[in-house]
Amino acid sequence: MTAPAALSARARGRDAAAVHRGPTFPRVVASEWTKVLSLRSTAWIAIVTVVVSWVVTYLSANASSGDPGFDPSASLPDGLALSQIGTLVLGVLVGTGEFRTGAFRTTFTAVPRRLSVLAARTVVVAVVGALVAALALVAAVLGVLPAARSRDIPLDLTADWTPQMLLGSALMLLGMAVLGLAIGSLLRRTVPAMTLALALVFVVPVALSLASELVAGPPTGPAPVETDVVELDPVSTAVALLPGDAAFRMTTDPEAGGVDGAPDLGPVGGGLVFGAWILLPLVAAGVRLRTRDVT
Amino acid sequence: MIEVEALTKRYGTTTAVDGLSFTARPGTVTGFLGPNGAGKSTTMRVIVGLERPTAGTATVGGMRYADLPAPLHAVGVMLDARSVHPGRTAVKHLLAHARTHGIGRARVDEVIAMTGLESVARRRAGTFSLGMGQRLGIATALLGDPETLILDEPVNGLDPDGVLWVRRLVRDLAAEGRTVLLSSHLMHELALCADRVVIIGRGRLLADATVQEIVDRSERAGTVRVRTASPEVLARALLALGADVAPQGPGVLHVRGTTVDEVGAAAGRCGATVLELSTEGGSLEEAYLQLTADSVEYHGRAGDQHHGRSTADVSAPIGGSR
Repeated sequence: MTAPAALSARARGRDAAAVHRGPTFPRVVASEWTKVLSLRSTAWIAIVTVVVSWVVTYLSANASSGDPGFDPSASLPDGLALSQIGTLVLGVLVGTGEFRTGAFRTTFTAVPRRLSVLAARTVVVAVVGALVAALALVAAVLGVLPAARSRDIPLDLTADWTPQMLLGSALMLLGMAVLGLAIGSLLRRTVPAMTLALALVFVVPVALSLASELVAGPPTGPAPVETDVVELDPVSTAVALLPGDAAFRMTTDPEAGGVDGAPDLGPVGGGLVFGAWILLPLVAAGVRLRTRDVT
Repeated sequence: MIEVEALTKRYGTTTAVDGLSFTARPGTVTGFLGPNGAGKSTTMRVIVGLERPTAGTATVGGMRYADLPAPLHAVGVMLDARSVHPGRTAVKHLLAHARTHGIGRARVDEVIAMTGLESVARRRAGTFSLGMGQRLGIATALLGDPETLILDEPVNGLDPDGVLWVRRLVRDLAAEGRTVLLSSHLMHELALCADRVVIIGRGRLLADATVQEIVDRSERAGTVRVRTASPEVLARALLALGADVAPQGPGVLHVRGTTVDEVGAAAGRCGATVLELSTEGGSLEEAYLQLTADSVEYHGRAGDQHHGRSTADVSAPIGGSR
């Protein structure tokens, strides 16, 4: 009888210690951090995102440096607008990666509280997105400098609404990463998730605008009279409320106003709408994770 | 200790596991045996909380898996060799999972050494052979030095060295007082390393016994095989003793309901020259085939002819494949 008694005493000792040896939230974050950083795809996407930001900004600034009213800071967002594809794709890949490969079995047996895995992953993707965004911003500034120097125009990053543009761009890139993660975690398969994410952010707005133009036909008759009261156009409104445009509004001048025919969300409003777009699939992914089997 | 009680798992109209109960005890290796699609993997996924049972319970150490305070220290799990991201190196994979429980780098290196993965530890898991993938899966299971191990088909794809190694490993783990649940569809594999065998078919329990008990249950157990120069004479003599005699090829008789000694004595009395005389041992393989004959999900054509239609009525309500 000594053996079982010894065994249960050992088991009891383990139970007491177990609480401190189990998966705490910081530990799960550390685990997810290791996972994301140990994949080559993360590094590659980060590099491509930053390089694209530099190249596009450089070309755009060079092209417009001949204009008489050239403002180097106005070229800053050009590359960043394309860089958001990078962080969006990064997020989708992190979201679907474990489901695509079966690694989720190991993860969810180590951490049966699946929501804490999703929360930890969101934190990690947000941090990685913020780091990539910071590097992309530096790359954009470096991309503008040659053109600015050639015209001897100083680049002032603190002037006017430039700080807001920089912060907005960083939040846009970061947010796109989390949006990708949310869609990836919800759909779990890479191709559908990638398709939906890219369609939602980039394809649908363009398609909607084109479709409405096709339906309306080319503008005929006298140009509409400018009035203070702008009539809301459903297509423009829908486009303005889509995540791509809502996020973009964070990077634009608060005084600039919105697109014609759409409500002006303003940078903060745009951020809130964008945030809602992130939250929706993230919560849905959490509900699916918590209430359904993972197989 | 793993306790499965009246466990049922349905997917829509398909019943994968049907009222299954069994216990895997500490200090023993429990073999979990069944044809493909019998519900082994489903049962294991329910035990480790990846899936919820439709009815019944599955507990580890008296607790639902989801309630375990430190799962890696309580249960080591290897469900599928493909539970690793192919783009990650073995070290990083182990490190990431170790971090969920604050397990240090030293333990990671330890399990790498235990599973013989030193030379490939820095290679990405996607480049691994099936055997190395299995070793990595076992290394993951051992990370937390758990009291209970659940291994799904751990010898699949291993070379003979690896098979021997897994066998020794599970024996050692059980000898240390741990609970080991090991699934396989290879019965002879389990015969060599399991103390008890739980056999399921179509989600139902077919047998839960020691390996020896199951072997003894085999129809052939206790059959005497005799080859003689005059089979007819001997057969008549044995029938007169009340034994069952079945001719098996030229000069060979299979005799049931008697002993080797009596067959020898009978041959002596009737003057039949005995060329060979032996007892046929039942094998786990045979016992297993007999037990699962009714519940094999995927019959080949030969299988259908042997035991297809006649048994289909019995097992029809249990449902289709998964």
